Amino acid sequence: MSTNKPFSSARASITQPWPPPTSLLKNSHHPRDDTPARSNTNTPSLPFDDASMAEPGAVIHSEGDIEEEHQKTLFKELYRRSEAKISELFGGVAHGEQVSAQDTSAQQDQLADEPNIREPPKEQAPKKAARTIDEDNYDDEDDDEEEEEDVQTSPLKNKSANALLSPSKSGSSPVSSDTSPTKPTETKQDASTPEEPKSSEDARKELEEERKATEEAAKRSFHTIFYTLENDRVAMLEQQRLEEAEKQINAEMDNSGNTNNSNAKGEQHGTLSSANLGASSLTLKHLIARIDLKREKVKASDAELRALMNEVRKNRSKWASEENVNQEELYEAIEKVLSELKAMTEYSAPFLTRVNKREAPDYYNIIKTPMDLGTMTKKLKQQVYKSKADFVADLDLIWSNCLKYNADIAHPLRRNANSMRKEAEKLIPLIPDLVIRPRAEVEAEERRKQNGGEDDAGDDSDDEPIMSSRGRKAGAKGSSKTRNAAPERDEGTPGVDQKPSLQVNGLLSTLGHEGSDAGFDSNGFGTPPIGSITPSGFNGMPGVGSQADGDIDGPSMNGLSLGQALGAAAEDLREDEEYKIWKQVTKKDRAFVAKERNRLFKGDKLNPEEPALMRSKAGMRRWIRQQKQAQTDTSRPDANGKDEKETGEGADTLAEGMEAEEERVLPDYYDPLSAIPDINPRLQWVEDSDGNVIDQQSEDFLRMIKPGHFTAPKGFLSSKVDANMKQMQETRKLTSKISVIKQMQLQAQMYNNQFPKYEPEPFVEADIEPHVMSDDGPVMAPWVCKAAMQRSVAKLCYHAGFEELQPSALDVITDAAADYFEKLARTINVYREAPQVPAIGAAAVGGKKWQERYTDEEVILHSLSENGIEVEALESYVKDDVERFGGKLGVMHERMKAHLSDLLRPALADNSADGSGQFNDGSEQFVGGDFAEELGEDFFGFKALGLDSEFGMSSLSVPLHLLHAKIHKIGGTGIQAEQATTTDIFPPPTSFEPVTKENLPDQIGLVRNFFLAKLHANEDEPLLEDEDLPTKQKPPKPRLGPTGKITSPRKRPLKEQTGNAKKKKKLDNGTAMDTTPNSKTGGVNASPEKGSVTASAKKLKLGLPNGGPVSMERADSSQGNASQTEKDDVGMISPESIER
Amino acid sequence: MADKTAKYRTEIQQMMYVSGETAEASAETTGMIEEIVRQQVIEMLRQCTEQASRRGSRSISTDDLIFLIRHDVAKVSRLRTFLSWKDVRKNVKDSDDKGGEGDLGTGDEPVGAVAGAPVVDTTKKNKKAKVGLPWEVPSFYNAEVPEREDEEDEDEEEMNYATLQRLKKADERTKVMTKEEYVTWSEYRQASFTFRKGKRFKEWAGFGVVTDSKPNDDIVDILGFLTFEIVQTLTEEALKIKEQEDLGKEKLGGEQQGKKRKFTGLFDPPSEGRTPVETRHIQEAFRRLQQRPNKQRALCNFTRGLNRTPLKLF
Repeated sequence: MSTNKPFSSARASITQPWPPPTSLLKNSHHPRDDTPARSNTNTPSLPFDDASMAEPGAVIHSEGDIEEEHQKTLFKELYRRSEAKISELFGGVAHGEQVSAQDTSAQQDQLADEPNIREPPKEQAPKKAARTIDEDNYDDEDDDEEEEEDVQTSPLKNKSANALLSPSKSGSSPVSSDTSPTKPTETKQDASTPEEPKSSEDARKELEEERKATEEAAKRSFHTIFYTLENDRVAMLEQQRLEEAEKQINAEMDNSGNTNNSNAKGEQHGTLSSANLGASSLTLKHLIARIDLKREKVKASDAELRALMNEVRKNRSKWASEENVNQEELYEAIEKVLSELKAMTEYSAPFLTRVNKREAPDYYNIIKTPMDLGTMTKKLKQQVYKSKADFVADLDLIWSNCLKYNADIAHPLRRNANSMRKEAEKLIPLIPDLVIRPRAEVEAEERRKQNGGEDDAGDDSDDEPIMSSRGRKAGAKGSSKTRNAAPERDEGTPGVDQKPSLQVNGLLSTLGHEGSDAGFDSNGFGTPPIGSITPSGFNGMPGVGSQADGDIDGPSMNGLSLGQALGAAAEDLREDEEYKIWKQVTKKDRAFVAKERNRLFKGDKLNPEEPALMRSKAGMRRWIRQQKQAQTDTSRPDANGKDEKETGEGADTLAEGMEAEEERVLPDYYDPLSAIPDINPRLQWVEDSDGNVIDQQSEDFLRMIKPGHFTAPKGFLSSKVDANMKQMQETRKLTSKISVIKQMQLQAQMYNNQFPKYEPEPFVEADIEPHVMSDDGPVMAPWVCKAAMQRSVAKLCYHAGFEELQPSALDVITDAAADYFEKLARTINVYREAPQVPAIGAAAVGGKKWQERYTDEEVILHSLSENGIEVEALESYVKDDVERFGGKLGVMHERMKAHLSDLLRPALADNSADGSGQFNDGSEQFVGGDFAEELGEDFFGFKALGLDSEFGMSSLSVPLHLLHAKIHKIGGTGIQAEQATTTDIFPPPTSFEPVTKENLPDQIGLVRNFFLAKLHANEDEPLLEDEDLPTKQKPPKPRLGPTGKITSPRKRPLKEQTGNAKKKKKLDNGTAMDTTPNSKTGGVNASPEKGSVTASAKKLKLGLPNGGPVSMERADSSQGNASQTEKDDVGMISPESIER
Repeated sequence: MADKTAKYRTEIQQMMYVSGETAEASAETTGMIEEIVRQQVIEMLRQCTEQASRRGSRSISTDDLIFLIRHDVAKVSRLRTFLSWKDVRKNVKDSDDKGGEGDLGTGDEPVGAVAGAPVVDTTKKNKKAKVGLPWEVPSFYNAEVPEREDEEDEDEEEMNYATLQRLKKADERTKVMTKEEYVTWSEYRQASFTFRKGKRFKEWAGFGVVTDSKPNDDIVDILGFLTFEIVQTLTEEALKIKEQEDLGKEKLGGEQQGKKRKFTGLFDPPSEGRTPVETRHIQEAFRRLQQRPNKQRALCNFTRGLNRTPLKLF
């Protein structure tokens, strides 16, 4: 950017001082304008420039000084005079005419006019003059003269410079330069730093920058404009042609030039001193500049530095020559320009090779000195060119030849030539204006100079400074020619800002056009209608202003008919400047990409032999960069942002250039190969400043698996099945009871564990634990699915009557079922994917052309049938195998229940009317007390106790299960277990704190002594609760008497009393004896607090008839000693709870 | 072979007659039918033996046999009726033999424990027993419930329905018969492979080779019943085929035939005489009966190649 600034400031310095006098029409001149006066008139029309320039202007003044001031006043004066003159000449004529008049008159005037005018604006005039002279030298054809003039004189900036056009035409040309995207930014940058362009070096740099800027702009526009690929093929073909041409030249050159080249190389290595380091190496430019800046700090001598540079740039140039000064510089620049020109394949294609005689038989009759780019390359390689002028002349020859031969104004090739010329003009200033001279001569001169002192600034150019940039600067100053660029630019750029006047201009020019058109037609150079119309066109699309801007694709243009050419031209109209630039900039890479792609095909088909296109790291990096760029661009469209970005980018590319094989100028969408797909923003790994991962809306995409995913859905069928299974469990419970009873009828002796309690657990389908999934779709967990399947299979098996399953059998069935389902699903798929059929019926009415072959219903039915399932079968399964089956189960359950109750109460079944049959032999009616009811007597005292109402007893007889004590026993364990589980709802109360010596004082005084004694007996160990005693030491629990009547405190079982008496006593001693020493002997162990209870129990016992024999179990215990009462003898178990 | 073929010719003819084939079938036809039946019987026995050995028993039981035809409701129902009546008959005979003793004693004793304990409660009314099958609800539980008279099982209704259908079919068939024909028909209905030919049947069916040589009497009876069924099914199917064939022939060659007919002589045999079922009809019928429903092929879907399938029983 910094290089841009000097240029702009230069302009500013010149333009600023003069206020806008008339503002109009001046711009029409400036492309060809050589006079300072012209340029002056132009500038004022910049309305905003004035304001912004004020400051820089001031700065410049300090530099530009008094002389400039003087000049300015001169200019002012001059301007006024010329204005007056013009108005005199043309009177009240329209502006357009004024313009043309000015054009013609000005040109003639220029040289004739006061020389002092030309001089003041800083060497502009002399240079111009030289220029014109130059072209005169080369162009001998009258027809071309004007064009040539144009070409030569038109500023680089002026893209539209069209030799063919009438003056009025050329007036519109600046407009086109306006449109180039770089312009706005450039002007802004210009304004910022004032510095004067001093040398051709700078000018070159500017040009480079400008080009770069254009490219940058194009690049920037990549993401704003989407271009199609239609031109790729052409680009590719053109590029191919270029390559071929190059190859051909190389081949031709190989024979002759080989030796030459190798020679040069060898020489270059030989001597270090001759290395002209800075000559054209742009690569080392910055380094060199840096070293120059800090020269005093660098310890190495010049020679050393040179050696180093040479070392670095070993392969820098084949042009380096020991004998010739400037050769390397010049030739490198020339080569670059040449290759650039050739690379513009859009236009250059026809000029690449010599004109074939077959194509144009009369060509060599008309054209005496043929020239083409290929020949120029050859000449270059043969080192024919001795100066820039030689080269430029050759170039111009090409264009002029073309224009000459293709005299038809509408000829497409003319457009090519003009475009090429324009490009060339842009590039030519890049070439340093050097003349190759033999080293010996130069050295001699130097010696002379040293002797004579530094009297001649112009000799600086011959002086070779260590650093090229410096040297070139000096050289540029000296030579008048190289200074060309800056002033030219000067003139060109103002046009940018002259939009308001331009429009008018354009209109005017059309008015004037008629005449000029006619005039040119006679010459054979009639302005094409398109061209003439365009200037009048809208300001917004000035790019179409000149024919030259239109790009003509295809080298085959030669053969195009006029009509086609016109059509193409019309098409060109539509192409805007941006597109053109884009095409130019991207051409090479587009061609490359297209070629790559093309390579994959063989005819119309993919070529399987070809290696695939691979994405490269560099490509992807570029892609990312472009994306980033696009983002910043859209977010910060202001110029500042762009500047920042550009600099940032520069750094980027420097770093990355190391790895990138080549930088491609292509929009990212053009290179899908290296595109990197966006990561779903939700899945991106974002860290906050602490390095913690930020959880980005994880709720959105992480989802819980819905509960019930792995359980049978609640439906009619499944609930039925569940109900059936439950029914079966209930019935099984009954049958287990029945079998126990039956067994008891047969068996005299039974064991506790003989009948395992049938305690089925209800079926509960466990769902999976809460589980999080990150995406939609089914849960992919084969093992879980299989387990679920197994469960379903097991359920069905149970439903079919199996109580248990072998795991292996279950596995087999599950696998078979899974297989079946898989096949079912596949069948469905086959039907679903059936090809579509032409729509009929409703679908056709709806406007659809195709419809599915099968409807969903059909798919299902077909699949089912294919897999052997009929709907009727399914229905009958639900009806018969589930529903009716449930009914059957229910009936079965009822019957079982009835059967069980029959078994439990056989007496109820056969009550004869009078009960006379009840006292048959062996009848147990007596025992059970059934007869008592008949008598209406409360034999067992149930009524008295209120038990009948409490438990809803139907009779006052002893329930059978009480008689069959073993049932009770079996049931008992179950009951306890049940109770244990049910009480779990509340936390069990904390256990009492054991009485110890320490907490004894907390007890009430009455019992303190009692506990103290106990503690003594326990050797001061904490006292244990009875509950906590080991089982054997526990006092037996009280039991209900065999009769069912509460009789008395239980007697200790005989066995226990006799056999374990001693032991028991001992234990009692150990635990609870001490306070009642008299009980030690064994008698009644009635603790004081239980006394009353015991008494009542005794009373009860007294009233009890001998129930001993009734009980099957307690036969022995009835003989127990009453004195063996236990402490907590009061509890009893309710019969109701047993029945449960 | 020829010997074998001859063995049941009359029976088969009679059975065919009962099934609707009034004309006299050729020896070839009957021979073919006989072979088919034999094949079926052997297959049945083989499967039963397999079943039994899977259960851990060496001899086959009626349950094994019934299991094979469990999907055929009508047959099962008939078999159950048959078995229960057979039981009744036996018990009656027993009680006749033993006098009044049978009335009391047999109440709790399970009869035929092997056969899944069909509980027979013949105490007073000589009520027919129900034949329980192991895959029915009562067998889910290890306790048995005494019979109740009032309960009429739904299953039974269904079975009765199937039986009724069958009887209706027979009725239709005999409706147009003359008295003599009906007599023959009802006489032929008693035709059996086994009845009073137990030994011949055992030899014929390969008892002792396929299974142990001393099968339960019930099994032989059941097989007798089933063989009748087989012949009947086969014949009915063959008749259907023949009918279709005749229909097709009439359509195709009706005119030609008609032309020819005109020139038939006066003494030509009457054309309306029914031609008997021929071997090809039997063959076709067999083929059709062997066709497997989709259900049994379902697991072979998406697997290529032919799967060897066992003989299908019918």
